[in-house]
Amino acid sequence: MQLSILGVAAIIALLVVVTGLGLGLATGTTVYDDDIDYWVVPEDSGSSSPLLATDNPRFGSVHDSTEQFRTEEVTFATPVLSQILQLEADGETEFILVVGVINEPGLDAVTGVTTDGLSDGDPYYADGSYDGPWTGDVVLSQSASNLLEAGSGTQLTVAGNESFTVTGVDDGSDTVGNVPVAVMQLSELQRLTGAAEHDQADQFIVGTNSPAVETTLKDRYPQSEVLTRGELTTNEAMDSELPLALAVTAFIIAISVGTLFVLTTNGLEVVADQRQLATLAAIGISTRSQLVLVGVQTMVVTGIGGFLGAVAGMGGIWAVNTGAMELLTTEPIALSESWFLLYGGGVGLLIGVLSLPYLLVLARRVSGGVP
Amino acid sequence: MSPAATSSSHPTEGDRSPVVYATDVTKVYTRGSGPGRVGKLLGRPEPPSVTALDKISVAIDAGEIVGLAGPSGSGKSTLLHLLAGLETPTAGTVQFQDQDLETLSRRERIRLRLEHVGIIFQHFHLVDSLSARANVSLPLVELGMGTRKRRERSEALLTRVGLEDRISHRPGELSGGEQQRVAIARALATDPTLIIADEPTGELDTETGQRVLEEFKRIATDRAVVLASHDQPTLEIADRIVQLRDGTRVEATQADT
Repeated sequence: MQLSILGVAAIIALLVVVTGLGLGLATGTTVYDDDIDYWVVPEDSGSSSPLLATDNPRFGSVHDSTEQFRTEEVTFATPVLSQILQLEADGETEFILVVGVINEPGLDAVTGVTTDGLSDGDPYYADGSYDGPWTGDVVLSQSASNLLEAGSGTQLTVAGNESFTVTGVDDGSDTVGNVPVAVMQLSELQRLTGAAEHDQADQFIVGTNSPAVETTLKDRYPQSEVLTRGELTTNEAMDSELPLALAVTAFIIAISVGTLFVLTTNGLEVVADQRQLATLAAIGISTRSQLVLVGVQTMVVTGIGGFLGAVAGMGGIWAVNTGAMELLTTEPIALSESWFLLYGGGVGLLIGVLSLPYLLVLARRVSGGVP
Repeated sequence: MSPAATSSSHPTEGDRSPVVYATDVTKVYTRGSGPGRVGKLLGRPEPPSVTALDKISVAIDAGEIVGLAGPSGSGKSTLLHLLAGLETPTAGTVQFQDQDLETLSRRERIRLRLEHVGIIFQHFHLVDSLSARANVSLPLVELGMGTRKRRERSEALLTRVGLEDRISHRPGELSGGEQQRVAIARALATDPTLIIADEPTGELDTETGQRVLEEFKRIATDRAVVLASHDQPTLEIADRIVQLRDGTRVEATQADT
């Protein structure tokens, strides 16, 4: 029995680790913020990872467009420009995902990094002249801060421009997977990347409490996609084929291998218990009761195995993340969710259910006779 | 030799009606499967067979202890298994209270054993993971008895066999004699009409064996007991001894007369 529990636990642990990695991959490139209601992205861009899709078509005249979005129903609206750039601080040079936005009340965070450290508005834009006051504000995610060994007040060089200062580090940043992020003023990033020429950005994000805004956005950008929070999440899951495939494959393998394992080990146990089953029959215990015993034992074994496996799997995820952060990344690469415990237990029970018919037939065959 | 015991017609012992009787029972064991049609065409031989019992007739009445004696391989255990309905005879009939066991389905035979037959094995065959009380309660669970009644009955039976201070112990924590007494309590749980015991003292020392035999004498007052043994002191408690050799009955003696 212990062997069966350990076997199921090992398989479920593997399933949970792979699922955690899959989810980590799926959300690793996700731009998510609970306060943002609509994303407007060019139709050809990959909606699964708009901020990283730097080769995709961009919007032009984004400052003007944003002004047109602003109505009473819109809490905030900003274009978003993203670019991976080389940042340097005190001799530490790293490539960081730099995100440019127009900061305004209501926009609390972008890509999981707070915008609190940015000046309001986009002063350098100055109605398209790009000669307003240069703020040089940069807010770093915790991972970017760690990489650059930079804190508040550290002078930064961004793409060769030395006029930036870290105005905040978001130590609770719910960042873009393991990608270090820096957030700055949109026009300043446009200037650094050449996007100022046509006032370009990759997407818009719009916060509102009115569903009617969606129609307005779609009317204004008929060639673009307007995604709600839910749609983005769905698209994300649909588009994230690799992690999904990974999770599904892990599930199928866990079910298959787990069932075969339980069939083998519990089957051997049933055969080994032949004398006990014969004794039960001899003292008058019905075949039905014996089969109930075998069934309950199977379900208990697989249920316990599934639960233990889920716990071990979460431990495995912790180990994977710890190892990865030591050797490869600055952020966890696998997600650990509390519902993994239920998932593991559930898959364990499913393995039990799939194993039952054979085990019951086997028990029926070996039961009876002389002990 | 009692004429009734060897008769191939309806066997009775005096005026009492037998609890169980076997009439001309033969049991043949075959090693392996037959050759089949193709095998026969190819000249494959029939598998070897062993006749464990050859036309044995015996009747056991309520209130008597019948001992089955004989050397190893004489057919004692086979006859016990047939009387308990654990196996069916190759030829002949076994009737339990006028019911032919061969006509019963497997489920009906199991139910009959639950309600009317208590079996005590040489190697006890207790469930290791269960306490003495739970082992005794097993048949009562199958009978559908309530928890409190089960508990009371199993504890009363364990007290009866002198194990009142071992009720919660598991078989691994009990001596051989204690385990055998748990097995006796289990066999008595459903108040059966027939007790079958195969070498009940075979694994016990002399003193413990004597205690177990005393218990057998007590339980035999209102039921039939059949015990198989090649141990003379064990057979001495029997009212009647049926001597077997090579699957045949060679003599019957009245032990107590």
